[in-house]
Amino acid sequence: MVGNFVLPLVGIACAGLAWWAASAQVADLPSPLETWEESKLYIMEPWAKRGEMDQGIARLAYYSLLRVARGFLLGIALGTPLGFLLGMSTTAHRMFDPVIQVLRPISPLAWLPLGLILFQKSEPAALFAIAICSMWPTVLNTMSGVRAIPQDYWNVARVLRLSRLTTFTKVVLPATLPYMFTGFRLSLGIAWLVIVASEMLTGTPGVGGFLWQEYNSLIYSHILLAILTIGIVGFVLDRVMGVAEAKLRSI
Amino acid sequence: MAYIDASNISKSFPAKSGPRHVLDRVSVSVARGEFVSIVGFMGCGKSTLLNILSGVVPADTGEIHIDGRPVAGVSEHASIVFQNYSLLPWFSALENVRLAVRAARPQWARGEQRKQAERYLSLVGLGNAMHRRPNQLSGGMRQRVAIARAFATEPEVLFLDEPFGALDALTRANLQQELARLCSAAGQNVTTVMISNNLDEALLLSDRIIPMTPGPRATLGPPVAVELPRPRSLELLLHDEHAVRARTHVVESLTDHVHAANARRARMQSRTGSAESAFVAADSREADI
Repeated sequence: MVGNFVLPLVGIACAGLAWWAASAQVADLPSPLETWEESKLYIMEPWAKRGEMDQGIARLAYYSLLRVARGFLLGIALGTPLGFLLGMSTTAHRMFDPVIQVLRPISPLAWLPLGLILFQKSEPAALFAIAICSMWPTVLNTMSGVRAIPQDYWNVARVLRLSRLTTFTKVVLPATLPYMFTGFRLSLGIAWLVIVASEMLTGTPGVGGFLWQEYNSLIYSHILLAILTIGIVGFVLDRVMGVAEAKLRSI
Repeated sequence: MAYIDASNISKSFPAKSGPRHVLDRVSVSVARGEFVSIVGFMGCGKSTLLNILSGVVPADTGEIHIDGRPVAGVSEHASIVFQNYSLLPWFSALENVRLAVRAARPQWARGEQRKQAERYLSLVGLGNAMHRRPNQLSGGMRQRVAIARAFATEPEVLFLDEPFGALDALTRANLQQELARLCSAAGQNVTTVMISNNLDEALLLSDRIIPMTPGPRATLGPPVAVELPRPRSLELLLHDEHAVRARTHVVESLTDHVHAANARRARMQSRTGSAESAFVAADSREADI
């Protein structure tokens, strides 16, 4: 009881205290109380729509989530088949592994301009950046999932003379599913990280776009509101995926 | 020509210290409907031999024919039971067996395939546990599922790779009886090759027992016929006078062959100066058989 509820609350209080202490030192940094006062409107009317960027925080988060969902789905739609290919074919792995290792560490800030050149519009460029940044954990986890399939299961497929398709759907896919989901969870985390950068650069409405606009408008308390929102939404996403993953692993 | 006819099978695996020769010109022949056990020490290459006979692994050299057809890959008429059950953990017992039936009899209607799977699960006493997943079944029950899966495709050849090796003594005895029952029900239609390190198990089930010398370069000894009436039981093997004599004969033939092989090996090793250690190793392994 104490460990589950009280200790995390103490931790949050400590972080709040650190924030408050910092705000006492730095003139421009709003204290927790000022942040609350100036953000109340956005939190109490979460679905309000007053202007392009002047919207309730839940509505802004919803825009961002929608964009992340699209980019993430695009990312895993590309990443999963690629992962299976690399896992099942040594040739493909040897061929593409160096490419992947080079592409993987590239920041979303680097991909976005390329996306803008390729697609000429901000929305597809944002999706491109999210997809290409978030797909790597899915690729690598799916790949190692396929490689970790025990020889026993391959033997079953061979002994029962399963067709290629049946082997894939009845043996390879179920055996790889838990690994794939770990990949999905990590990918979603990255997709959510990328959203802020891509919204900042493209100026589209959402939590990240809001954050950048309020910085330019010198309303610093709203930056903190946006930061907290990003953190909390990211935490919830991870937990939801974690539960789904645990369900799969229990099979 | 015998039903299963394998001649001059050799197999080696690459190792750090050069190739490891597991099998050296091994020949086996099995008549149609016969139950043959290959008995030998752990790690002597029995499983490798079975994997080659069944087509799971290709041999380096040698030829295998089953029913006159050369073996290339696992035959559609063959079923294999592994020591570690090899069930798919995400499927129920029924789904595991159905998968095999579906692959072997794609022309059947789905309902027919399902009925076949259910029938064989009932035959091995799992009528009430068909919908459980492997992790909800005991080791014995899992191996029952694997046996049901092997028989449900109505194979002509059955390969058993230490099928009861991972089970406790009581479960093992029960399953041996079940297997004997299923095999005698199939009669001349199924030919069986079993790998085992348990002599009583081999005596209980086989028509012939073939001893295998310890690897590397494992070879097979002369086969010993088991001329005991069926159905056999462990009690019979222990107490019936005729059975005890048969058992003694088998044990002597097997140990003679192993001794001869060990003596040969010792002579070879004495040239390199380690005869004594070879004898000690041979004696300590003797206890297993």
